[in-house]
Amino acid sequence: MAIPASQMLTVARYVMKQRLAGRERYPLVLMLEPLFRCNLSCTGCGKIQYPSSILKRHLSVADCVAASDECGAPMVSIAGGEPLLHPEIAAVARALVERRRYVYLCTNALLLERKLDEFEPSKFLSFSVHMDGPRAEHDHSVSREGVYDVAVKAIRAALARGFRVTTNTTLFEGSNPERMRRFFDDMMELGVEGMMVSPGYSYEKAPDQEHFLRRERSHRLFSQMLGEPKKSWSFNQSPLFLQFLMGKRDFECTPWGNPTYNIFGWQRPCYLLQDGYAKTFRELMEETEWSRYGRKSGNPRCQDCMVHCGFEPSAVRAAFESPRAMGATVASMVTGRL
Amino acid sequence: MIEARIAQLVDRAFDYRGYVTLRRSDGSEVVGFVYDRGASHLELLDQSATRRMRVPLAEIADIAFTGEDAARKSQEIWERRQGTLESSETPAHGDWGEAGPVLVLVALEQELRAVGRALDGAPRAGKVRGRLGGNDVVTLASGMGKDPGPALAEWQPRLVVSCGFCGGLDPGLIAGDLVLATAVRAASGEVLTAPEPARLAAAAMLEGLRYRQGELVQAASVAATVDEKRALARSGALAVDMESYAVGLEAAEAGIPWLVLRAVVDPADSPLPEFTREARRDYTWPALKYALKGPRAAARLVRLAREFRLASDALTTGLRRLGPALDAAEARP
Repeated sequence: MAIPASQMLTVARYVMKQRLAGRERYPLVLMLEPLFRCNLSCTGCGKIQYPSSILKRHLSVADCVAASDECGAPMVSIAGGEPLLHPEIAAVARALVERRRYVYLCTNALLLERKLDEFEPSKFLSFSVHMDGPRAEHDHSVSREGVYDVAVKAIRAALARGFRVTTNTTLFEGSNPERMRRFFDDMMELGVEGMMVSPGYSYEKAPDQEHFLRRERSHRLFSQMLGEPKKSWSFNQSPLFLQFLMGKRDFECTPWGNPTYNIFGWQRPCYLLQDGYAKTFRELMEETEWSRYGRKSGNPRCQDCMVHCGFEPSAVRAAFESPRAMGATVASMVTGRL
Repeated sequence: MIEARIAQLVDRAFDYRGYVTLRRSDGSEVVGFVYDRGASHLELLDQSATRRMRVPLAEIADIAFTGEDAARKSQEIWERRQGTLESSETPAHGDWGEAGPVLVLVALEQELRAVGRALDGAPRAGKVRGRLGGNDVVTLASGMGKDPGPALAEWQPRLVVSCGFCGGLDPGLIAGDLVLATAVRAASGEVLTAPEPARLAAAAMLEGLRYRQGELVQAASVAATVDEKRALARSGALAVDMESYAVGLEAAEAGIPWLVLRAVVDPADSPLPEFTREARRDYTWPALKYALKGPRAAARLVRLAREFRLASDALTTGLRRLGPALDAAEARP
């Protein structure tokens, strides 16, 4: 697996500390959305449909730092919107890195190459480049020609400058497993540190409502794609989560694992659903009716969701709760088998 | 218990990705974006997306969906172009453009120093550059009544702020009061209305300070006497300056949003000494010469110095407050 040892140790120490403190619910990754505006309009995205006055707003550096301090999660995923449209995004990343947070700056990479000068390489900072598959699939997914090529060029430039780079791939109905396997080869040949994969969430506000994967279909697709994984592939994810996608394991969602903060406040209950906002992180954790969410709750919006923001924390948690699951995690990391 | 019709409207408003207008039982209206709800209230962001408002459900008589639904718009765009992709020539910033700085235009060095304090920067060669609320801000002192066109062409700002001192025309204004222009009136009588998103966002930020909103009238030269100010007050303007109309006009023609924030130095009943009619980098010598005219002149000068200090401090405070509004005021796309 591609996650650096120092990051794994930090997360392991953090999880152990939470367990020793007897905390039932704790965050793993802060999903920080400093803005909603974007320079693409992807077919499966339900994040950016707001009036322009709201799209023009962004969190300040101080807001972002305060949210990270309040939440305390060891990792921060800066999402959006397109974070590189934020006028002070480099200062946001720098401030979080100074606090020794592992920062994943999610970007479509359209502006990455021209903004690289503003960032300094660090083991705490990784550019997580949105790549939804091979050239044709990716450009279709983001509804613009040429984006795949721009992103590949930006990834090369970032790697040449010593930055950590990962990819983040969202899959929809119609994805071809064989082509995706070749795409994984291409990404690893480019030299990225690791890849992240997840089925898309069926956002109510996304333009394309026909291509979201149902649960059974997700199992089939990920089994075909990740069955007999190549030794050269590295995933920046828990092997247990990948096994969950393949239908080999079952987890319940951990919606509080990746709490989301944006200009409205702390989003209830998770990164994907918007049932309102809490004013403080504590209020989010203590006053959200968590029993209303997850597959077992019967909430129809949760039935087909297998997205990493809800289930990756479940997989990490499972590894620390059972020696057997921890053994399976370690074995998969050593052998590369899923 | 709220009635079923209102409960349904509340559900729809919470789900709606556009602005709604809430009509209260007392007939008053609130326009905003509903982002949260509790058992007995709705939380909204105002139209400038800078001010949060809470409205009790019990007060809501009706909800109208008055703003465009961004989700439906996105759906329609996608349906229209289904199967076709945007060109690879589309700018990398998409619809958002590469953001230029906020350009603050002042006339005098004294005004530049007041702005500099807000930006935590020292003026150099008639310019201060700094940040306010995360925004890149460039401030230029261009001289009294000078053409703002070249500065706008050079900096291509995303927002222009005409800033500095003004003379009070409304008898209620005292030294140190801030004036946020709803419109600017030319000496010839033409009126330009200030762009609303920028002004509303600014107004929300200035709440709690001594400030008024109203019209500013342009004077061709410093209105120093009480009689001159009385004549200008007949237009109904709150205050007078020499630059804001030209700034508003130039910005409007360039399609750039603009704001006017001024601080009152001399109230309506307070005349200015003659030497203030002339723009200078340093008023020390003319002021000393004026003071030597006698005790009354000296006393007037002491009062004027106090009024300048009050106006200068108000300008610094007002600009610092404006920081978050400068984001919201970006008018592009």
